[in-house]
Amino acid sequence: MALLEVRQLKVHFPGRGGWFESRTQPVKAVDGVGFRIEEGQTYGLVGESGSGKTTTGRAIIGLNALTSGSVTFQGQELTLGKRGGKLNFRRDIQMIFQDPYSSLNPKKRLLDIVAEPLRNFERLSPLEEKQRVRELLERVGLSPDSIYKYPHEFSGGQRQRIGIARAIALKPKLIIADEPVSALDLSVQAQVLNFLREIQEEMKLSFLLISHDLGIIRHMCDRIGIMYKGRFVEQGTTEDLFERPQHIYTKRLLSAIPVMDPAKREEQLRFREAVNSEYKEAYERYFDHDGLAYPLKPISATHEVAAPEKG
Amino acid sequence: MLKLSTNKASPQARPRQPADKSPSGLSIVWREIVQDKIALVSFILVAAVTLFVYVTSLLLDQDQIVRVDLFALKQPPSSEFLLGTDQGGRDIFGQLIIGTRNSLTIAIVVTLLTGIIGVLVGLVSGYFGGTIDNLLMRVVDFFMILPFLMVVIAFITAVPNYGITAFTLIMTAFLWLGIAKLIRSKALQEREMEYVQASRTSGSSHLKIMFVQVLPNLSSIIIVTMTLNLAANIGLESGLSFLGFGFPESTPSLGTLVSYARNPQTLEMRWWIWLPASILILVLMLCINNVGQAVKRAADARQRKG
Repeated sequence: MALLEVRQLKVHFPGRGGWFESRTQPVKAVDGVGFRIEEGQTYGLVGESGSGKTTTGRAIIGLNALTSGSVTFQGQELTLGKRGGKLNFRRDIQMIFQDPYSSLNPKKRLLDIVAEPLRNFERLSPLEEKQRVRELLERVGLSPDSIYKYPHEFSGGQRQRIGIARAIALKPKLIIADEPVSALDLSVQAQVLNFLREIQEEMKLSFLLISHDLGIIRHMCDRIGIMYKGRFVEQGTTEDLFERPQHIYTKRLLSAIPVMDPAKREEQLRFREAVNSEYKEAYERYFDHDGLAYPLKPISATHEVAAPEKG
Repeated sequence: MLKLSTNKASPQARPRQPADKSPSGLSIVWREIVQDKIALVSFILVAAVTLFVYVTSLLLDQDQIVRVDLFALKQPPSSEFLLGTDQGGRDIFGQLIIGTRNSLTIAIVVTLLTGIIGVLVGLVSGYFGGTIDNLLMRVVDFFMILPFLMVVIAFITAVPNYGITAFTLIMTAFLWLGIAKLIRSKALQEREMEYVQASRTSGSSHLKIMFVQVLPNLSSIIIVTMTLNLAANIGLESGLSFLGFGFPESTPSLGTLVSYARNPQTLEMRWWIWLPASILILVLMLCINNVGQAVKRAADARQRKG
């Protein structure tokens, strides 16, 4: 049984505007997305900005209301359409946020920040709590003595690790990481990502990694879903997608990855041009008249593509 | 009045905090006040007046002071009556002390009450947004369009035996609106911060997030508005009493003392009745405002002097 299974997830935001806030077409941020995350796996959601990957993650944890669809966690139905959902489900699912600056309350000390989930779900004496927070901080590579410091005394990478410490405080099974490193500089990115892999192995965690950086996704993920305008265009294992991309959108996305070797610059340029012309040529076939992708169709045991209706 | 040159902040006098400890909000406020000499003098003045008034009023007997004494009508200042007497032979100095105490008390109580109501309504409204926000803000709008002065005047005409409590409540009923609007707008900004969502995913309830997570981030703005409102409320009470819609004569306040000046004879010939109270109002309002400005600067790192 999959740890997390998402079926036909839809999140629509009511569009309002015009005269007297009359209802217009809803914004279909997520429009029928489905995937499974197995235990210990990392699932990557990729897409350009506005493709609905963040909304998907937020809907799973309950920060956005579902319009329809279902999310099951260990066989249990999670969000019952109600806004916010039930609190006690959240114990096993935690989130790492994108912005390490605004995701830590500037008026709170580290002790209060990291202990917040503990205070909500576990009854610990102040002494035990301090001990746990010290351990957690040590685990993420910060000095255990910094529990009385404020977030602004730390650098971006350190702050993100404080966020991770908060997320792993309850020993969750699934962590949703919403662009966890996109606000950090490159050298720190690698550090934080490797650290995430380390705790994944140690705590048998599953990740839902949301990112627009294909390099990070390739480095981290077992399975990948590529989103475009709220729908999946292609889903499969990392190998499937990077070695045998089927959808033209995926191909175009992959061709955008910079190649380090200057000798291959010309070659890469020609390759990109070829992909681009193919994209323009085949666009009509791969997307419906609204510019949306078709439903996914399996082409192998692990690989699904939003293939055109005919051919 | 305050003959002080605007001393620019002297950099060497700045007390440095040790690097490993972040300065607390109060110490920042205090540093800002110390850096601004006018604010410092104002603060000391307000503290001294408040302390003096509250301590001395404990020793004074209000009934004795407001008792009419036909043998001592309209006396100029003398050694017996430090600031003379009014047309009822009542000691102005004693009335001034008790009046200042009454005025300060009502201003403080009104400020606190309006602060509590305003922060509660504003926080709930801004944090939840949507329908709740809409509903609460329409209530606020309703109170805002009511003419404050007219309602107070009508109330006082209709209720003959109003006292300090009724007066406080009616002022409170109209003065929480501004704070609610202000706090709402700040809470609307604050709830979009990711730490609010992080608290949500940590399993905190809305109530807990509002008061434990969001409220501390609004504390500086709350302190600033409350300080400035305190000065405004002293002025408002005095204004209403001056017009005769504040305290009755049996409860002296700064406003009732000044209102004696409505009599042209008193205004021209017996300055000792109304001048001290007027000066005291001016000094108190100016000083609290000065302190409030310093606190305001302390709340915004870009405006700080210290």
